[in-house]
Amino acid sequence: MSVNSDLRTAKVSAHLKVLYGVVGLLVFVGLPLLFYALGDFPRRSLLKEVISLATLLAFSLMLGQLFLARSNMDVIALYSLKRVKRLHTVIAYSAVTVLLLHPLLIVLPRSFEAGVGPLDALATLLTTFDNLGVVLGLVAWILLFILVPTSFLRVRIIQALRTKYPKWRSFHGGLSVALIAAAIVHAIELGRHTTPPLATFYVVVAAAGVGLLFRMYFTSERK
Amino acid sequence: MTIETISGCIGCEECVKSCPCDVIRMDPTANKAVIAYPADCQICHLCRMYCPVDAITLSPDKAIPVVVSWG
Amino acid sequence: MSHDDTQRPAGAYSRREFLALGAGALALGACGGGGWGRNEPKIDPRAISTDHTHACDVLIIGGGMAGLFAAVKAHDAGARTLIVSKGRLGSSGQTPFAKGLFVFDPATEKTSLDDYLASVSRSALGTNNAAYTRQAAEHSMARVAELRSWGFFDSNLYHRAFMVPIEERGIPVLERVVITKLFKDGDRVAGAAGFRLDAEETVTVRARSVVLCTGAGGFKPNGFPICDLTHDGTVMAYEIGARVTGKEWNDGHVGRAANPAATYDGWGDMFDRKPGTIGVEIHHDLGVDANYMAYVQGNPLHAGPGSGKATESIAGGPQTPDEFKRRPPGPRDGERPRGGGPPGGDGPPGPGGGPPGMSGAAMGGASAGMAIHKSEGLVPINDRCESNVPGLYAAGDALGSYQCGGIYTQVGSSLTGSAVQGAVAGEAAASYAQGVATPVISRAVLSAIAAEILAPLKREAGYGPAWVTQTLQGVMIPNFVLYIKKESLLRAALAYVEELRDHHVPRLRAADMHELRLAHETENMVISAEMKLRASLLRKESRCSHYRLDYPERDDANWRAWINIYKGARGEMQLEKQPFGAWPDGSTIGA
Repeated sequence: MSVNSDLRTAKVSAHLKVLYGVVGLLVFVGLPLLFYALGDFPRRSLLKEVISLATLLAFSLMLGQLFLARSNMDVIALYSLKRVKRLHTVIAYSAVTVLLLHPLLIVLPRSFEAGVGPLDALATLLTTFDNLGVVLGLVAWILLFILVPTSFLRVRIIQALRTKYPKWRSFHGGLSVALIAAAIVHAIELGRHTTPPLATFYVVVAAAGVGLLFRMYFTSERK
Repeated sequence: MTIETISGCIGCEECVKSCPCDVIRMDPTANKAVIAYPADCQICHLCRMYCPVDAITLSPDKAIPVVVSWG
Repeated sequence: MSHDDTQRPAGAYSRREFLALGAGALALGACGGGGWGRNEPKIDPRAISTDHTHACDVLIIGGGMAGLFAAVKAHDAGARTLIVSKGRLGSSGQTPFAKGLFVFDPATEKTSLDDYLASVSRSALGTNNAAYTRQAAEHSMARVAELRSWGFFDSNLYHRAFMVPIEERGIPVLERVVITKLFKDGDRVAGAAGFRLDAEETVTVRARSVVLCTGAGGFKPNGFPICDLTHDGTVMAYEIGARVTGKEWNDGHVGRAANPAATYDGWGDMFDRKPGTIGVEIHHDLGVDANYMAYVQGNPLHAGPGSGKATESIAGGPQTPDEFKRRPPGPRDGERPRGGGPPGGDGPPGPGGGPPGMSGAAMGGASAGMAIHKSEGLVPINDRCESNVPGLYAAGDALGSYQCGGIYTQVGSSLTGSAVQGAVAGEAAASYAQGVATPVISRAVLSAIAAEILAPLKREAGYGPAWVTQTLQGVMIPNFVLYIKKESLLRAALAYVEELRDHHVPRLRAADMHELRLAHETENMVISAEMKLRASLLRKESRCSHYRLDYPERDDANWRAWINIYKGARGEMQLEKQPFGAWPDGSTIGA
């Protein structure tokens, strides 16, 4: 009986793992791709479209990070903390690279066509301070730029500051929430592919993820 | 027709300044460039080439104005 | 605009007006933008501020190649200099699209300067002014070297490079300011006035000297990037007594039959190119011959490499001297990687001579209303770009220097000529300014000027400028009027243009600053159209880019002369001849 039941549980959890994986992929990769495909915007050169798609997916996967965290106990219970952490790290390295390069990637295609040069374009881009979208983009970029080394060196930081891991975690989570808030407004203000459905998707997903995070903080405080 | 869309505008005004025919203006509330006078577009693409984020799309078509006898 | 008819109730037409409107609609087929109608102002014309005044020694009007050098050289000669441009420096007029600069380098050129000058004069059939042809060649290397040091050759966009010397010198720039009036203090020029596009303000500049670098113009045609060029400088100067020349010549650039308005697309990759330099290469590029072919045999007309098989050459029509005949069309070797550029001064638009990159069947009239580069504009009284109005100078396409003649001769010499003449005019204007006092203009005069400038905004009803422009286009652009000329149709068109001048121009309305600009541009185009028709009627021969179906031969006995136009004592347009090879005072032009 118990053997059977264990087998059944294992089977169910294997199915669940696949299901969660598929749902995750559908939500964080499929939906943005769908919104992109359905959107009515001018299609540009292959390079520009590839860069745009990479940026869309990187941002969407960054939102997905909110669900690959200690706040999402269901997923951790299903896959094990170690595996979730590894996935979190892999996504972080790939998505963050794209997002940190985002300002450069916007102007990169200018190297291959007539018009304002990429560096001149970048200079204009980075000095248009009277636009909220640009300012929030810069803010998000700086927060992301802080997020990377503080994650990479978290052990040493914790030691150096003689603090505890949960405190670092709160810092990391808080930074992420601020970053995501700035980035979503930035994407809605300026993103040429941020159609109303995509904007709604960003907001809903971010709200759910942040909700999970706050629930964890809230319940852990109560303990 | 002519200049068609501006999407992803960051409000730097480069297109407004570089348009020889004063087709593009700034929307002061949204702080973004808008196509204000498309009938005067000469389809020269300077706005697109000066735009730092390549936000402007043009087409080679120009709408033929409707026939009016007067007023 | 001498009178204002705002009192007339909207809708009250005389029989004559009614007929004119009906005829306009019939002739056009397509007109938009609204004809007669109530003015529905988007701004309050009474709130427009009129107290923005500036003062300088040398005022440069125009921010293209000529304006750049005029400002730099006037400043370097010690003058307090100010640039005013309708658009942005290096991004308005024809400069942004001109990619070829002629350089005469005696060290590498096989042709001697004297041989070069003789060859240009032969191709120009005497129409060129040898002093300006020589000046462009002689100064070309120095100007190109300066441009190179500012990074001009590093990008297909010129604004950044143009700002290098301007910022280094701290020369003040007023961009997006439309100048519509010149004013005088006694006999001499005293400044200019206009308005800002981005604010409800008029702008007045008192200046000891003014250099017009306002380019040429056309009738806002389709397929050529000159829709912001409406002969503003020429007309402003004509209104204060300057002599104007070159109105009978025609730039004959063709566009494409498909999407004729798509300037960028029609020019292939030309606008994408970085500028380059070109050595001696002299042609006799007509353009008007393409119009003749279409006139005789209809479309589709193939012109330019890649546009399909060109038709056999047809008898009659505008002729090219044997020495300068291009080889039959088709792929030509040496189809140069030069960046000739549409307005680069090298338009080879005729059959077999379309600009590289163009493809598909050709369509005429792309540059309608524009003459050969450097042939139309203010009459120079010497080789210092000086007009007959003291203190008023012009350079580039605003000066009728006849550097190339009444036909395209040396490839790429137009952009170079603008740089060279800008520098010459800037220095000359600075030196003139040193010898005169700053003009004094009374407040009453200034407010009268402001009222005139703003008049279209204050009309309660009137004609929409876009509609009047389209009406003018319908009259002037067909090839049987402007290109294949004959007495009867020139007279008919003149009657039509006079109607626009007398009846429509004084009733132009404007709802905002953009439309105010259109209103003034429309007025300038109408005056330029009258000039073109009168000069074309007067020249009863065919020569270079001026072709008369009723006078198809060259007439050296009577017509070795340029035509100058000036405003007569009663405000009427007067025309006079000035013999080739002589300055207005009769002295010989030394090459």
